[in-house]
Amino acid sequence: MASSITSSSSRLFPITRDSQPTSHSTSKDPSVLPLEEQTNLSNGSVSSFQRPDSFGRFGKFGGKYVPETLIHALTELEAAFHTLSADEEFQKDLAGILRDYVGRETPLYFAERLTEHYKRENGEGPHIYLKREDLNHTGAHKINNAVAQALLAKCLGKKRIIAETGAGQHGVATATVCARFGLECIVYMGAQDMERQALNVFRMRLLGAEVRPVHSGTATLKDATSEAIRDWVTNVETTHYILGSVAGPHPYPMMVRQFHAVIGKETRKQALEKWGGKPDVLIACVGGGSNAMGLFHEFVDDKDVRLIGVEAAGFGLDSGKHAATLTKGEVGVLHGAMSYLLQDEDGQIVEPHSISAGLDYPGVGPEHSYLKDIGRAEYYSITDEEALEAFKRVSRLEGIIPALETSHALAYLEKVCPTLPNGAKVVVNFSGRGDKDVHTAIKYLKV
Amino acid sequence: MMTCKLQLGGAFAFARSNNHSVSIESSSLMVATDHQNKTNNNLLPRELAMATTCVPTIKPLLEKELRTHPQETNNDIINSGKFGRFGGKFVPETLIVCMSQLEAEFNKAIHDETFKAELAEALRDFAGRETPLYYARRLSEHYKINNNGKGPDIYLKREDLNHGGSHKINNALGQAMIAKRMGRNTVVTATASGQHGIATAAACAKLGLDCTVFMAAKEMEKECSNVKLMKLLGAKVEGVNGSYKDAASEAFRSWVGEMEKSYHLTGSAVGPHPCPTMVREFQSVIGRETRKQALEKWGGKPDVLIACVGTGSNALGLFHEYLHDMDVRLIGVEAAGCGLDSGKHSSTLAAGDVGVYHGALTYLLQDQDGQILPPHSIASGMEYPGVSPELSYLKESGRAEFSVATDQEALDAYERLCKLEGIFPSLEAAHALAILDNLVPTLSDGSKVIVNCSGCGDKDAALVFDHKLFHGKV
Repeated sequence: MASSITSSSSRLFPITRDSQPTSHSTSKDPSVLPLEEQTNLSNGSVSSFQRPDSFGRFGKFGGKYVPETLIHALTELEAAFHTLSADEEFQKDLAGILRDYVGRETPLYFAERLTEHYKRENGEGPHIYLKREDLNHTGAHKINNAVAQALLAKCLGKKRIIAETGAGQHGVATATVCARFGLECIVYMGAQDMERQALNVFRMRLLGAEVRPVHSGTATLKDATSEAIRDWVTNVETTHYILGSVAGPHPYPMMVRQFHAVIGKETRKQALEKWGGKPDVLIACVGGGSNAMGLFHEFVDDKDVRLIGVEAAGFGLDSGKHAATLTKGEVGVLHGAMSYLLQDEDGQIVEPHSISAGLDYPGVGPEHSYLKDIGRAEYYSITDEEALEAFKRVSRLEGIIPALETSHALAYLEKVCPTLPNGAKVVVNFSGRGDKDVHTAIKYLKV
Repeated sequence: MMTCKLQLGGAFAFARSNNHSVSIESSSLMVATDHQNKTNNNLLPRELAMATTCVPTIKPLLEKELRTHPQETNNDIINSGKFGRFGGKFVPETLIVCMSQLEAEFNKAIHDETFKAELAEALRDFAGRETPLYYARRLSEHYKINNNGKGPDIYLKREDLNHGGSHKINNALGQAMIAKRMGRNTVVTATASGQHGIATAAACAKLGLDCTVFMAAKEMEKECSNVKLMKLLGAKVEGVNGSYKDAASEAFRSWVGEMEKSYHLTGSAVGPHPCPTMVREFQSVIGRETRKQALEKWGGKPDVLIACVGTGSNALGLFHEYLHDMDVRLIGVEAAGCGLDSGKHSSTLAAGDVGVYHGALTYLLQDQDGQILPPHSIASGMEYPGVSPELSYLKESGRAEFSVATDQEALDAYERLCKLEGIFPSLEAAHALAILDNLVPTLSDGSKVIVNCSGCGDKDAALVFDHKLFHGKV
């Protein structure tokens, strides 16, 4: 089933290399970044393309595949974003909220026992660091974006916020920030998901949000997303749509990336303090792709830093039950953007599977599709079983329980560490804590 | 027949029991209460300061605190073990050597620059300190709206953001590091709601120590998510019949059997010296940060500090820094459960008597025969029939005030903070927030109130859900 605004065709739009972004601004605050400065085209570096260009495209990916009624709202949002990026007052407020409410900056933690675990027989091996996004308020990186978008909505005079949610994490993050800012909050959730996640539904209601069940289609995340977009089309004057990931129509992929880019900015500073250099390898799990872009973005122009994204292989890539969009997907349009997605021969969305709800998305952020195509970032996948093993391993070795999403990134260490030179600095984005996954994990791990 | 004797000043006192299964702590208690029995008028009066069974320097803590620099912890404070007449080391002879060894080790560690640097790094990178001092604008305005826009500014010290979800990690990390220094390879502890168990299991996993956590069987059911978390962190969780006090006793007993190899990690500021002092010292990072942050934010000190009191570790952690700032009000809030008159509560300081429990002289909930009364609170972390001896002293000396909040008041405060600030406080911390309703109207406009948000209430959402379901409110 496809919603009225999605299209399965992979139409190509001309890439306008000489297009200018709508505004340039310099920002002193790492939490809100401007568009890339235009760089020298002749050196052939990644940043010779705007990321994104003024049409919101990353190469051929991205764009604004939306009904006419939403174009104005998106344009207004983009303009507001650029204006506020340059606004000192907004930046100061946001920095204050990230510090006092969210709890930033998050530590870059040297995982001593994990590093020891991966040492080879001759005692050599990489050094593993964890960027502790699990320590944020609400327990994941999601709040960085939710808080910034809520503040932006308030500046725009919007009093009503809508969001979609799968398992409830993004819904809870959105309801949290709406309570903080005193905004009306409506969260769309698939009816099936509501049954499976009754406690998260209760949490959202405790926070004052209204949770609306979606019965159409398979009554899961992608249907909730479509319903949220429908609401936005109807109520665009009064309502801001807090999209939870770097997917969706422009300017969302860019905006959400910029709001998460504080992760990478802090990492650069902390790496310099800790070992006087840059990381050699960055690893992050990829569902929609927001935590990965948040970590990677700072280092995209540093060619000596490897960027590795890890998707969910579910029951295995050949089983047909996975969410490995970049490995097994094809190019198409979903939820307003051109990107890789899991689709069948008729262009219908294939229901993805992963043990972790946050990776259970049939699409992926367009910027990831671009970084994959140009070879700047590498993408691999990890099965449910491998993720569960990593979940248990890291809990036991470091006393930190990772979210099942994060466990996919941690599981990849098994594959990459044996290949890395002695003393290589690896930073894994510890995107969330695993308290929410306790019941699932216990069931499978039989602890 | 069981006999127990206690040294009191220059005299010895005895108590006898025909019950062979009387435990160490209740036999000490029997002696203590025998002397409180007004019919035994040839014995010593109730208020006599009791000697400890180790070498004391018995001076009121507050005097010593006043003479020293607030940032320094000197040997005298560590060695005394007494807070006025409270505290002490009421333990069997076999344990005296152990406690003295622990005291010496602790003394050495906190004066060791390397240890301090390692602990600071672990608190920063593992636990996530420093925790923010957050201005709760909407909560403040909620109170100001009914008072012409006037009222105090309410700040929350965000201990809920620590790794593990509460302030417990501050102490668990410090003590686990001491255990490692001492060459112990196992840590044994008891936990009420599971927060301390999780913090201990996490610290032990990080340091490569084995961990056993004792927990009341009924709590294990109530807080089953926390039990699962502890197991995932590699800890063994043992169920004990009864409540937290029984789990605490069991942990102690288990440690006594394996003293060379294992370390007993107290989670709360109770127990025999040096435990209350150790826990308070490790938790005092909360107050130190608060002083610095208050100075940065409004260039001054807080006017009022509020914290919930189960055993007292988070309260002491916040209060300790300000003990000699007499212009700072210290308010501890205990659990009134179903109400003080119902008999189902945990309000030790409000409704208890002085006696010896778990190795220290302190206030406790006891009946006329000196038997411990079972405590009750909707918040497991508040459900303890004793309290820190240091808090007992602060109450008696008048330095701190103590209030109570019922289960329902705590639940209301929990929901209020969710809706107004998007923060789930633990049900324990919700008790501290609950008294704002009555306190705020008495405070002047612009006064600075800091509430210790000692834990994250995600763990309590299921409990609140069930409670509302049960009462037909969902």
